[in-house]
Amino acid sequence: MPPVIDAGKCSRCGLCAAICPLGVFEQTERKTVPAVRYGEECWHCNACRLDCPSGAITLRIPLNYQLLHTDASQLHR
Amino acid sequence: MIQLAKTLHADVLVAGGGIGGLCAAIAAAEGGARVILLEKADTRRSGSGATGNDHFACYYPPQHGDDMEVIVRELLDSMLGPFHDAALSRRFLKESIGMVERWHSWGINMKPFGDEYKFMGHAFPDRPRIFLKYDGHNQKAALTKQAVKSGVTILNHLPVVELLRNDDGVCGVLALDVSTPEPAFVTALAPRVILATGSASRLYSPAGTPGWLFNTAFCPACTGAAQAQAWRIGARLVNMEFPNRHAGPKFFARAGKSTWIGVYRYPDGEQLGPFVSRATREVGDITCDVWNSSFSDLIMNGRGPAYLDCSATSAEDLAFMREGMISEGLTGLLDYMDAHGIDPARHAVEFMQYEPHLIGRGLEIDIDGQTSVPGLYAAGDMVGNVRADIAGAAVYGWIAGRHAAGGLPGGTPATPDAGVVRRHQEFYSSFLRRPGGASWKEANMGLQQIMNDYAAAGPHRVRSASLLTAGLAYMRTLRRNAEEHLSAANAHELLRVVETLDLMDNGEAVMHAALERKESRGMHLRSDFTFTNPLLADKFLTIRREEGGAVIKEWRRRMN
Ligand SMILES: Cc1cc2nc3c(=O)[nH]c(=O)nc-3n(C[C@H](O)[C@H](O)[C@H](O)COP(=O)(O)OP(=O)(O)OC[C@H]3O[C@@H](n4cnc5c(N)ncnc54)[C@H](O)[C@@H]3O)c2cc1C
Ligand code: SF4
Ligand code: SF4
Repeated sequence: MPPVIDAGKCSRCGLCAAICPLGVFEQTERKTVPAVRYGEECWHCNACRLDCPSGAITLRIPLNYQLLHTDASQLHR
Repeated sequence: MIQLAKTLHADVLVAGGGIGGLCAAIAAAEGGARVILLEKADTRRSGSGATGNDHFACYYPPQHGDDMEVIVRELLDSMLGPFHDAALSRRFLKESIGMVERWHSWGINMKPFGDEYKFMGHAFPDRPRIFLKYDGHNQKAALTKQAVKSGVTILNHLPVVELLRNDDGVCGVLALDVSTPEPAFVTALAPRVILATGSASRLYSPAGTPGWLFNTAFCPACTGAAQAQAWRIGARLVNMEFPNRHAGPKFFARAGKSTWIGVYRYPDGEQLGPFVSRATREVGDITCDVWNSSFSDLIMNGRGPAYLDCSATSAEDLAFMREGMISEGLTGLLDYMDAHGIDPARHAVEFMQYEPHLIGRGLEIDIDGQTSVPGLYAAGDMVGNVRADIAGAAVYGWIAGRHAAGGLPGGTPATPDAGVVRRHQEFYSSFLRRPGGASWKEANMGLQQIMNDYAAAGPHRVRSASLLTAGLAYMRTLRRNAEEHLSAANAHELLRVVETLDLMDNGEAVMHAALERKESRGMHLRSDFTFTNPLLADKFLTIRREEGGAVIKEWRRRMN
C-alpha cells in the first residue's frame, strides 16, 4: 500500500486525510491514526509526506513502477 | 435515497479548485461577486498542480520584444499549440505577464533567480523561449490563501456531479458531499458557473502499467467531469477527436519530461534528434516535443529502448535540474531515485509515451471564456480551443472569473426544474449499497478496454468507421450494464462510480468526433482515410448532444 504511516510518530491531526487528492486515507473518528484505505488509488504526488507535520509518512512505490534505467557509460562505448 | 443536505446560493459557482478554478474564483470575488468554489478534494493539494509546476508560458516584452506575433508563433508551434483559436492565444499572451505579477505578489516565487524573470526550456536552439521558469512548490497553498482572503467560500470534498440549466442557460449545480462515508447531496444555485475540473485521465489504460488505474501523469482525480456534464446539458465540445499523449520516465508516470536536462539516445549511444548534443538549462533536447511518437516508434521498430542521458550535463545544471524537480512537485520520484541509487549523472533513464488523455480538448469557449451555454464558463485543461497548461488555466481562469462577475443579472434568481433535480438524485442514489453489485473498477477498466481497442490513438494504431461504430455500440452496452449493476459501499466509492460514468460520456464524445473527421492528422489515424486533407487543416469540429440524445456535429473555421 503506497503511503505508510508510522503510528508511533503520527500526532493524529488528520491533515493527510484532508489533503490527499485521491482520498486514499480514511479517518472516521477525529484524533485517530488515519487508515490507508485505498492504497491502490495513490497517485504518488507526495503531498501527504510533504505536509505531515510529524514526518510520519513514507511512500512505498509499487514494485511494478520500477524506474527503468541503465548505466550511462553503456551508451558511450 | 441519499438526502439533500442543503441548498446554497451565490452569484458565481466554480467547479474545481485547481489552478484555473482558484484563479477564476479570486477574479470573480475581486470583481464583487459572491463566489462559492466546490472542490472534489482539498484545494491546498488537489489537481495536476498539486505539489508544484515550474514552467509558465508567458509573453514578456522586455525579454521578447514588442512584436507579440513572434511569441504567438512560438506558442502555436510548441507542444501546447496545435489546436488553438489564435484569437484566444493572443488574449492569453497579452494578459499572461499580469498573472505572473499577481502570482508573485501572492507568494509564489516567479523570480527564483533574482530580480528578473528567466525564460528556459522547451525551446529550439536560437528561437525565443516562452516558458518562464518559476518555483511552484507552494502554489496551491498560496492560491488557496489568496482565494480565502478575497472572500471566496471554498467547499472541499464536494464534487460537482451534474450541471443544472433552464431555458435561459445554466442556473446551478448538483454536488455530492463526500466528506464522510455517508454521502449527501448539496444543490448550489447561481446565474454563472465556471467549470475548471482539469484534464480527463483514466480514459485509456495506463500505457506502462495496465490495470494500475492511478499511475497517470496528470491527476487521476481529473476525470473529464466538465466535458461530460456540459455535454449532458448540450454545450459544444471541440477537438475531441485528437488524442494527446504525454511522455516521461518508464514506468513511473507521475513525473513528466520537461524538467530533465539531457539528450535522448538510442541504446548504442546515437542521438535520437538533431537539436543538441549537449543539453543545458537554457536549451534542452526538444526532440520528444517535436517527434512526439519517438519512444513508441523505437519500441515498435526494435531499435529501442530510448534513453534520456544526463551524464554529459554539467554538475551545476544537474543540481539545477534537481531543484527544478522539487519546484515541479516531483519529490516522490526523487525520493525513489535516491532510495534506489539512481543517479542521473551515472544512469540513463528509459522514457516512454503514456496513454492518451484529454488536455486541450473539450469545451469550446469564446474570447471571454464563455461556453455555448449562456452563463457557463470554462478554463484550464478541459478547454478545447486554447491550451497553455498551468499558465492557460491561470490566465483564462482569471479572464472567465472577471467576465462572469461583470454584468450579473438582477431580479429573482432562476431555479432549475425540480423534477430534473430529483431524477438526478434518484439516479445516483440507486448505486448505494446495491446488493450483489459490481465494482466501479470493473466499469472503468471495461471503458479503458473499449477505448484502447476501438478509439485507439497513434502511432502504430488506427481508427476506422467500423471500429468506432462497434466501439460506440459496446460502450452503450457497458453503460447499460454499469447503470444497472454498479454498487458503491460509501461516498468514496460512489464518487468513483460518478467519475466512471463521466468518463463514458467523454469516450462517446471522442468516438463520435473521431468518426466525423474523415482524414488522418496527428495521432488521429484513420485506416479508411489515410491521408491528411489540407482542406481540413483550419477546420475545427464541434459536437454537442441535443436533449433527445441526437449528436450534432458541426465544422467551423479556426478563429485567427
Ligand atoms: C507533475 C506535473 C508537472 C507539470 N508541470 C507543468 C509545468 O511546469 N508547466 C505547465 O504549464 N504545466 C505543467 N503541468 C500541467 C498543469 O499542472 C496543468 O495544466 C494545470 O494544473 C491545469 O489546471 P486546471 O485548473 O485545468 O486543472 P487542475 O489544476 O488539475 O485542477 C482541476 C481540479 O478540479 C478538481 N475536480 C475534478 N473533478 C471535479 C468535480 N467533478 N467537481 C469539483 N472538482 C473537481 C480536481 O480535484 C482539481 O482540484 C504539470 C502537470 C503535472 C502532473
Ligand atoms: S498528517 Fe501525519 S501526523 Fe497528521 S494524521 Fe496524517 S500521518 Fe498523522
Ligand atoms: S502520495 Fe498523494 S495520492 Fe498518495 S496518499 Fe499521499 S497525498 Fe494521497
